[in-house]
Amino acid sequence: MARLRGKRLKARPVRRYALIVALVVLFAVLLAQTSPRLRAWIDPARTVAADQLASSARPGLWDRISGKAARDERIRELEAEVRELTRYRSVAISMAARLEAYEDMLNVMGEPPVRGVTARITSETNGPFREAILVNAGTLQGVQPGAYAENEGGLVGRVVQIGERSSRVLLVADFNSRVPVMGEASGMRAILFGDRDDLGTLTDLPERGSFILGERVLTSGEGGIFPRGIVVGEVVERGGALRVEFGMNRGRGGFVRLMPSMQIPRPEEFPAELPDPDSAIETDGEAGVEEGAETAASDALPDAGAPGGG
Amino acid sequence: MARRRKSERLSAISGIWAETGPTSRFLIGTLIVAAIGLIGLTPKTLFDTELVWPYASLVAAIGWGRSGLGFRPMVVLVVFGLAQDVSAYAPLGCFGFINLAAFGASSLIARSFDRERNPLISTVAPVVLYAVSFVLVWLFASFSGNHLVQLSPLVNVFVVTYLLHILTAPVFDLGRRVGPLAGSMS
Repeated sequence: MARLRGKRLKARPVRRYALIVALVVLFAVLLAQTSPRLRAWIDPARTVAADQLASSARPGLWDRISGKAARDERIRELEAEVRELTRYRSVAISMAARLEAYEDMLNVMGEPPVRGVTARITSETNGPFREAILVNAGTLQGVQPGAYAENEGGLVGRVVQIGERSSRVLLVADFNSRVPVMGEASGMRAILFGDRDDLGTLTDLPERGSFILGERVLTSGEGGIFPRGIVVGEVVERGGALRVEFGMNRGRGGFVRLMPSMQIPRPEEFPAELPDPDSAIETDGEAGVEEGAETAASDALPDAGAPGGG
Repeated sequence: MARRRKSERLSAISGIWAETGPTSRFLIGTLIVAAIGLIGLTPKTLFDTELVWPYASLVAAIGWGRSGLGFRPMVVLVVFGLAQDVSAYAPLGCFGFINLAAFGASSLIARSFDRERNPLISTVAPVVLYAVSFVLVWLFASFSGNHLVQLSPLVNVFVVTYLLHILTAPVFDLGRRVGPLAGSMS
């Protein structure tokens, strides 16, 4: 009896020390993440864990036997088709704004072909931390770094973390999100970020003019992440200030479409090889210069013509 | 007659539960927390109203803590915490820290003030522990987001978590009692 009691007394401090050590270690991990360099070490672990979490959404054995998996698959296909058609509708509406912009531009490059991956939302928490969702598509499904997500209601957010089978999308409704936007009717430019009341706040507004109440807010295409013309929301009035009601909240079907970001290569990445003017004049005269310039232009053009390539 | 049969069935269940050992109780509790967590990964709506989902691991932490410190609950709480960090996009270690702190504090309160399982302390202590835990969640979220996050959603989760605690507290009782102090009257 006395031996048993002694053993218990010995065991308890060990557990207590283990608890204290665990608390200290966890707090140290928390503190370590405040350093961007150390955070870069921890992020891969988080990505692996997110991959495992996303795999919980796979159909189980019973679903396969009972045929539920096949039915779900068919429903997903039909839902994807509906989403695709809805997207085309919003594209058609925003076409007017795009056309206006194109008319003002000369030598406009054609729109890159629409590519993207439809992914299922596997985790969506309404907790106090950053507003983000986890979707079950990653690099294996063709999601690229910097991709953006949209649903039938409009822009959802952008990919901030990619795993092999999962991606984390930071919602436009998050406080740390910044989206360059413009009014569809007014043409006003601003930066949009999420606020604590599920509405967007417009900042960096021009000194003159303002957004029109009820007009749609679209991405302006500045910043090189979101292409121009994606619906973000609608201007509403709250407490005397103009705010933005996010369109993505209208289309919460549990799926998002991940689209490659609008990355236009910088001129430095594809330098044109111009011939030495002195040697060209000496050898071929003016004809040689023209030929060289044409070659350089033809080399540079196909690359510049693929803005969605990155 | 029907009422009698029902009460007999309930007493049979409670009898089986009383016979269940700490390991089985711990496994059942772990499965319940995992099930609640997995179901709550995506938002649930009822009559177009989004449901607030409780932090089941916190209920487990406070329930298990009352039965004293143990290695198995600590490991499971850290694992659940990491899963919560990943799903909520919180800094890694945040929920693990909160779960373990709640577990340790619950154990400390049980050892220091609640050896006799006084009903008043058994009611008040979890409320205090949940309040402190949610303040920690709020602090970590505010530091992580570089702004003060809204309190009202956390208050909603607090209420729902406490409701879950009321419903499931016996499930997270491992059956071990922190014995009365030597020399005390029992």
